[in-house]
Amino acid sequence: MLARCPSCRQTFSTERSGQQDCPHCKRPLIVPGAPPQAELIMPSPEPAFGSPESETAPGTPWERRAELGLFTAWWQTVYQSLFEPGKLFTSARLDRGRAQLGFAVTTWSVFAALGQIIDRLLLSDQRDQATRWLNQLRQAGAHLPPFVDRLLAMGNNDNSIPATFGIALLSPLFAFLFVYLNAGVTHGSAMLIGQARRGFAATFAACAYGFAPFVLLAVPGCGGIVALVWCAALTGYGLKRMHRISPGAAAGAVLAPYVILCCAGCAVSLSVASFFGGMIPK
Amino acid sequence: MTEPLPPLAELVEPAEPSARPSDHALGFALLSAALLGAAALFPLDRPPLSLFACPLKAATGWPCLFCGATHAFAHLVHGHPGDALAASPLGTLLALAALAHLAATCARLCGFSFTPPAVRFGLRLRLATLALLAANWVFVAARTRGVL
Repeated sequence: MLARCPSCRQTFSTERSGQQDCPHCKRPLIVPGAPPQAELIMPSPEPAFGSPESETAPGTPWERRAELGLFTAWWQTVYQSLFEPGKLFTSARLDRGRAQLGFAVTTWSVFAALGQIIDRLLLSDQRDQATRWLNQLRQAGAHLPPFVDRLLAMGNNDNSIPATFGIALLSPLFAFLFVYLNAGVTHGSAMLIGQARRGFAATFAACAYGFAPFVLLAVPGCGGIVALVWCAALTGYGLKRMHRISPGAAAGAVLAPYVILCCAGCAVSLSVASFFGGMIPK
Repeated sequence: MTEPLPPLAELVEPAEPSARPSDHALGFALLSAALLGAAALFPLDRPPLSLFACPLKAATGWPCLFCGATHAFAHLVHGHPGDALAASPLGTLLALAALAHLAATCARLCGFSFTPPAVRFGLRLRLATLALLAANWVFVAARTRGVL
């Protein structure tokens, strides 16, 4: 017969009923026979994680948007994500992946588009000024690392109104791809350290609701950076609650990809610093 | 005083071969299609793919774990598996996995019924994966530094 472990939610095959250890997580459990014996259906002192109690979670406000209304559901979900994440992840269901994807894509798309437009309206003068300043440095003989040069060139090319609206219109596609890429990499990390206890659906819920801080994309300047850091922290907390793992394991699973990104970010900073350092007269 | 009983396992029915892929399988198929499509359509030396140049390698001369993956994807979709493996064995494996998942999902959408094999990701497999990741990095680093 096939049985599902109430602790790790992995399915395993067994030939006998009664008390035994899960072959995946090695925790003790009782496999009920058919028909179940009276002594085997005694409730455990507290509901196990992943037990039917948590499977019948009420759902987050966004997952209940049919009864709450679209905007109220979205606003309550964002509020809970940012300020009451424990409440949010306790109520999240594992069978609402499509709704969770919808929340992440909607939140990212709307605020990325808004951020693009606000950025263009408020920061175009500063960008022009920065470009002039960099050109002066180049004329003075400074050497810009090639990838930084390409990034700056692309940023300037995409400063037109059609490009701004084009990027805004493509935001849902980018959001969709980024949600799955992020969830895939995070789940891969969690699997590597043996902490993906409740399957991909749990990781996906944590990553999707972890997109709530991207409402800050509408804040010009530092909004994106703050959102990224908050997103990482919220995803880690979500993993801890959804997979029922220790804070250290959740941090490890979430931070592994970010460490790579951070290393890349540090490398960019070093390159830029060395570029400007070369400009200082000795 | 008796010890509390362990929690009760849930009996599950064996999975029936299913034609319809799950939402997440469809999501990953779309992601695979986007990555493979971008690798097939865009040239490696112009944006947007040229923007994936590794800043760690540019700054230190040492590759990161995923260095060469973009080239591996591009070489594989253009039918040059040898070049793909030389660029990054890990990237080639990821590209093959994306291709296989895309093909399997399309087949299921067309009505072919099968259940994907369940892989138990136990300790040995995890250690083997970590060892392969390390070996991939050593290989790419050796090629980057001109040892191979």
